[in-house]
Amino acid sequence: MNRRHFIRIVPLTGGGLMLGLSGIAKAFAAADETTATDSATAIGDFLSVQTNGDVIFHFTRHEMGQGVSTAMAMLIAEELCADFERVKVSFPPADLVKYNDANGGHGTGGSSTVITMTPILRKAGATAREMLIQAAAAQWNTTPDNCYAEHHFIINRISGQRTGFGELAEQAARLKVPASVTLKSRSNFSIIGKAQTAKTLPLLVTGQHRYGADVNLPGMKYALVARAPVFKAKIRSYDAAKTLAVKGVRKVVSTRVVAGIQGPLLPYDIREGIAVVADNFWAAHKGRENLAVVWDEGVHSNASIEDFAAFVKHRGEQRLDPSGYTGDENAIANIDHVKQTLRAGYVFPYMLHSLMEPLNCTAHHKGDSCELWIGNQWPEYIAEEITRVFGIPKDKVKIHLFPSGGGYGRRAYPDAAIEAVCISKEAGNIPVKVMWTREDDHQTNAVHCYQRLDYQAGWDEHNQLYAWYEKECRTYMWDRQYPATELTSNGYNIPNIRYDLEDLTNESILQSTAWRSVMINGWALSECFVDEVAIALKKDPYDFRISLLKEGREANVGHAEKISNSRMIRVLQLAREKSGWGQALPAGQGRGIAIYPYGNSYCAIVALVTVADKKVTFNHVTCAVDCGMVVNPSGAKNQIEGGVVWGLSALLYGGVQVKNGRVTTSNFHQNKVVRINECPDIDVHFVETNDEQPWGLGEVSNPVAVPAVLNAIYAACGKRIRTLPVNLNEA
Amino acid sequence: MPTLRFHINGAAQQYDVDAEMPVLWLLRDYAGLTGTKYGCGIAQCGACTIHLDGRAVRSCTLSCGAAAEKQITTIEGLAPDGSHPVQQAWIREDVPQCGYCQAGQIMSAAALLNSNPSPSDQEIHTAMAGNICRCGTYVRIRRAIRTAIDYKLNPKPLNQ
Repeated sequence: MNRRHFIRIVPLTGGGLMLGLSGIAKAFAAADETTATDSATAIGDFLSVQTNGDVIFHFTRHEMGQGVSTAMAMLIAEELCADFERVKVSFPPADLVKYNDANGGHGTGGSSTVITMTPILRKAGATAREMLIQAAAAQWNTTPDNCYAEHHFIINRISGQRTGFGELAEQAARLKVPASVTLKSRSNFSIIGKAQTAKTLPLLVTGQHRYGADVNLPGMKYALVARAPVFKAKIRSYDAAKTLAVKGVRKVVSTRVVAGIQGPLLPYDIREGIAVVADNFWAAHKGRENLAVVWDEGVHSNASIEDFAAFVKHRGEQRLDPSGYTGDENAIANIDHVKQTLRAGYVFPYMLHSLMEPLNCTAHHKGDSCELWIGNQWPEYIAEEITRVFGIPKDKVKIHLFPSGGGYGRRAYPDAAIEAVCISKEAGNIPVKVMWTREDDHQTNAVHCYQRLDYQAGWDEHNQLYAWYEKECRTYMWDRQYPATELTSNGYNIPNIRYDLEDLTNESILQSTAWRSVMINGWALSECFVDEVAIALKKDPYDFRISLLKEGREANVGHAEKISNSRMIRVLQLAREKSGWGQALPAGQGRGIAIYPYGNSYCAIVALVTVADKKVTFNHVTCAVDCGMVVNPSGAKNQIEGGVVWGLSALLYGGVQVKNGRVTTSNFHQNKVVRINECPDIDVHFVETNDEQPWGLGEVSNPVAVPAVLNAIYAACGKRIRTLPVNLNEA
Repeated sequence: MPTLRFHINGAAQQYDVDAEMPVLWLLRDYAGLTGTKYGCGIAQCGACTIHLDGRAVRSCTLSCGAAAEKQITTIEGLAPDGSHPVQQAWIREDVPQCGYCQAGQIMSAAALLNSNPSPSDQEIHTAMAGNICRCGTYVRIRRAIRTAIDYKLNPKPLNQ
């Protein structure tokens, strides 16, 4: 394959998933088509307005903590002119026909939900509003243009009459859906842009918010799986006699038939295993402890993370044909221009997700149909894979969707569902809840890809950056194919940029998968190398970045969204202003700055740290974000704050230890994450814009927090950390 | 298996269970109380925190035998209508993201404020350091505990 191409546009959001986002057409079903039990008050696919006035929003995406159930409810309630207190959120089962691509689908990833759903839901809300107005106008023998909606009422502007949504619901649901509707202008918004608390809160604080792990069905059994301890290993033999002697253990079955299958879309890999099916979790747990399995450990039996890191380092030092470049692809070697060069290699290693709710799926294979209960980001993919693997037609696959205790990309894959369906089938077509323990999660799971970035920069006799070379080695590709041409996406105005990408998927010693922000975690480490260049040139890191940006310039790096230098400048300025950048600090403290885009959102972070006794303390983190229109300021800040903490955990405790092919750490006592006593104060500031389009922000802050802190550590103690986790003893 | 007697959220209940089984699984698989979450099974994450005779304990490493005859309170029993000051503060400060750890966070915070109505920042950190939040809502948890303290001193309805 000839990879030598100039940069061109490809339909990818920055690092994100593209989950069936094929346009916006049927945002609204005709009311007389709905046959649900609440059809009397169902107004379209997303709303029921009950006769008591309650508005039920049928949530279609996956709520995994990113707050989209509330944000989506706000978008539809705004146009409906509803009282947001009276809007409730329901979590209906997956409906691949009703919630097709035109209705935004169920697929949730790539920080795309508010981007895709904003026009769909605003139109849906406005249409329902129009139908309520028409119902009221008919009742009052007037015309709709004499009526308007406000705070859950339709009001007759001539007579002053008022009628509540509930009283109009049945009549409105019988009306023909208007062909076109007018959306509100942003200046008239009363819900969007105002901080709203999460709709999930009342159930959450009383323990009633139900996750997939909480499912309980009549006759349901519980299963734990002893999965291959080494990636790609196979079962040689097993002895389940002691397991079957444990009270409550019912069956022991293997998952051989689905092990190792390769997904045609996003890649996944199911580790071969033996499932212990029992009456309850505890019996399954004891049964699994008594299971004896002999493994054929296969090609990775001697793998270690140290050997793998050395192999990738070697690959990182080799040049390939460029994946993309602007200017002269060999500029770094042009001695007519380049007077000095600097090079450095950075690693963003394998990382665990540690989803607080470990993976789980309850499945009931019934022969010619099947039913699943799961919290998952992409039920469409599950349905397709159930059809492909088990031969059950899509319309015979029913998927009950639950919110989850964290997704971060890991729940975008169907592997846990396929494994559970397999176990249900092998156990005799009974409903089985397959659970993962924390040890399963940490030792036999898919992880963030291993990324190594080798950088080289060259500047001329005037200390102007002339050439930027970047070689990436990575163990994950979205679609198992070499990606389209792209450039590094830091957006800087450098005349000659070259990017080489080497796909090490087949060499990986662990299965790689999406992990919050995916490859941008590695890409954003370029912000450390920018810092290294600034220091080499004796320039202030903030001033140096500004000098590499040009107001009005848009960088085409091969993604759907061009990178706006003006918006980069704005967030840098805001971060500088709010953080006290440049003010003197006591010895041992340092500030670091970093900026990186995610899709069409931008985040700049200034971190303040203290380094003492070779230990890092996080003092303060200031975030400046431009994500277009902010739908819910409270939820938006929560995402940015949480992303920072996510990045800090990777900084202090990240990485996966592998020896003899096995992950050697098992639970939170070894795989630590940041706790409350280590968490700094975090300020979040949004750039004010007049946009009516929001852009995603669930994945924009964590990739930036990492280089900001690494740069702060350098400022504090002069040590340049180029891999995670931070270890000042080795630096 | 022995028949053990439990007091869960004020109600006496009997179950024939393995005395070694952690209370977490009694609550989830037998009593149908799924608000208490599994997160690690080794008392490292705090998602399973309940009150045993009023003190915060990790139910994933508390055996049924050790908990029998004692008073167990779960998130469902803290204040079923959500009126507990800590629950109210959690709503007001819009704390949770995915929410999976939050039952444990709330139970730890409620136990802290029971034993220490006016904790210092350091005492809050010490009491809450056993509860992991992978979504990273710690800034809001700190703020909400302060809000709950204010609410206890001066109870008034907390509007959203």
